[in-house]
Amino acid sequence: MATADTTRGRAHTDRPRGMLIRFRARPAVEAGPVSIAVSYVIVAIIALACVLPFLYILSTSLKESQLLFQYPPKWLPIPPYFGNYERLLFETPFPRWVLNTLVVATAVTAIKVVIDSMAGYAFAKMQFPFKNFLFVFVIATLMIPFATILIPLYFTVRGLHLLDTYWALILPPLANPIGIFMMRQFIEGLPSDLENAARLDGVSEFGVYLRIIVPLIKPGLVVLAVLTFLLQYTSFLWPLVATNTDEMRLITTGLATQRSVWQVNYGIFSAGAVMALIPITVIFLLLQRYFIAGSLAGALKQ
Amino acid sequence: MARRYRVRQMITALGFLTPFAVFFVLFLIVPIVQVVIQTFQTGGLSRRMSFAGLSNWENVFNDPVVYRSLENSVRYAAIVIPLVLVLGFVVAMLLQRIGRGSAVFRAMLYFPTLAPVVIAGLIWLFLVDPDFGAFNLTLRAVGLPPQIWLGNTDLALPMVAALEIWRAVGFWALFFLATLISLPRELYEAAHLDGAGGWQRLRHITLPLMRRAILFAVVLATIYNLQIFDSVFVMTDGGPAGTTQTVVWYIFKSLFSFDRVGFGATLSFVLLFIILVLTLVQMAILRQRRRA
Repeated sequence: MATADTTRGRAHTDRPRGMLIRFRARPAVEAGPVSIAVSYVIVAIIALACVLPFLYILSTSLKESQLLFQYPPKWLPIPPYFGNYERLLFETPFPRWVLNTLVVATAVTAIKVVIDSMAGYAFAKMQFPFKNFLFVFVIATLMIPFATILIPLYFTVRGLHLLDTYWALILPPLANPIGIFMMRQFIEGLPSDLENAARLDGVSEFGVYLRIIVPLIKPGLVVLAVLTFLLQYTSFLWPLVATNTDEMRLITTGLATQRSVWQVNYGIFSAGAVMALIPITVIFLLLQRYFIAGSLAGALKQ
Repeated sequence: MARRYRVRQMITALGFLTPFAVFFVLFLIVPIVQVVIQTFQTGGLSRRMSFAGLSNWENVFNDPVVYRSLENSVRYAAIVIPLVLVLGFVVAMLLQRIGRGSAVFRAMLYFPTLAPVVIAGLIWLFLVDPDFGAFNLTLRAVGLPPQIWLGNTDLALPMVAALEIWRAVGFWALFFLATLISLPRELYEAAHLDGAGGWQRLRHITLPLMRRAILFAVVLATIYNLQIFDSVFVMTDGGPAGTTQTVVWYIFKSLFSFDRVGFGATLSFVLLFIILVLTLVQMAILRQRRRA
């Protein structure tokens, strides 16, 4: 394959800009109109199957719970009933979970973008002993499944007396090195002329990073930020372990741990599932390109 | 002079690396060292840790639930992976054939991937509800007997697997589509001129060219699916009769239900070993690709 991948023997996962896949290419051999029509129908059915469960839960959340047991079922909730949402927002800790999730995901994203781009810059442009060894070592830890360190990590955080606090949710995810890898690949490709010119003008090393490097890698920072936010928003196992009071739960862990309590009340529950998906839907619609690229890279970690 | 410059650069580099390194050491390296130590210890959340020799390993290898959870994880992966990859591949080929106008479909297909697994699991709970779930309503509408999906020992694991297939099919479709589009068009045009039909082009051009992408997908999907936890936790919590107990579920329970730290740590180590072997296989595949 005569792509840039082969140069200098890098993996094809580098150059995050290149991960923004272009889908415009036409097929090499044009299919006949009948076969296109058939393909269209099949894809439409599968795509609909992907979305229908979301519509089903949306419809459920807009019905009074007793109506669920009606047969034949009423698929469309007309007129819509908003009582479930009212109770979810005013009688449960759900708003607190939304706040927690946004605080934690935003904090992790903000810190990560800074520390990962700094470390990535050091690995890309600076000379220091054991550089390559350290980089390979850091990246090799990506192979370790999270479940392996679950129990000792719990003890570490307990030892720091951070269990059931925001810190317990924010700090451990910062150890994930996938962003270092992305940032180094991004920065390595930049020409050094600008940096050197700035140094000659007496700009400090941190000034070079802040005023030269950061503006140049903005697209990479956006990809990293979206990826990090998504991973945090959907993360479950660690937040489940790290917190134990209702006030410290996130959306995912809150809904999951209330399952046995709320199951009697299907309406509230379905409203919670719908609300949990709203922020993700909004971000998805705004940043569709980045999202797909970001989670393709994220799969490497998972 | 040159030496002073080098020292200064080292200090600068240290400054840039330290913020990340603090978290990396504290929340990744320390736990890894600790998990190794814990495999030789016994104790719990309330009990003090003490040296236990190799008894944890003995316990892990003699515990029928360990074998059952390994078997369930593998069975789960064996259901999910072939179906989700074949379906993803087919959808990718259809999307490529449609060409223009597939943007809406791509967004629809990709949407379930974005939902947190837990939320997807909760939605699935509604679909499989024996009383008002869409599945049973459909069965009833066509005159078939309704099922208690998650209470049935033969159906529970496949239903959890079905959730993952639904969730991941769009991801793999777009993964394969990205690869399909990068294939050299000239080969297809030449084959077309030589009179090769669609099926022949698939067998003799597409599949051989995509071999490594497919192998890569298989290994990646295996690593990911062997670590299933979230959906099991919300949908079945290991039941019925242990048919959905999985490895990560058991690690979680070892600590929080059975209070056996050493045992859980040892089981984590078994998981680490399995995943490492699979990752090395994956890296070998990637290296092959680079050389090609």
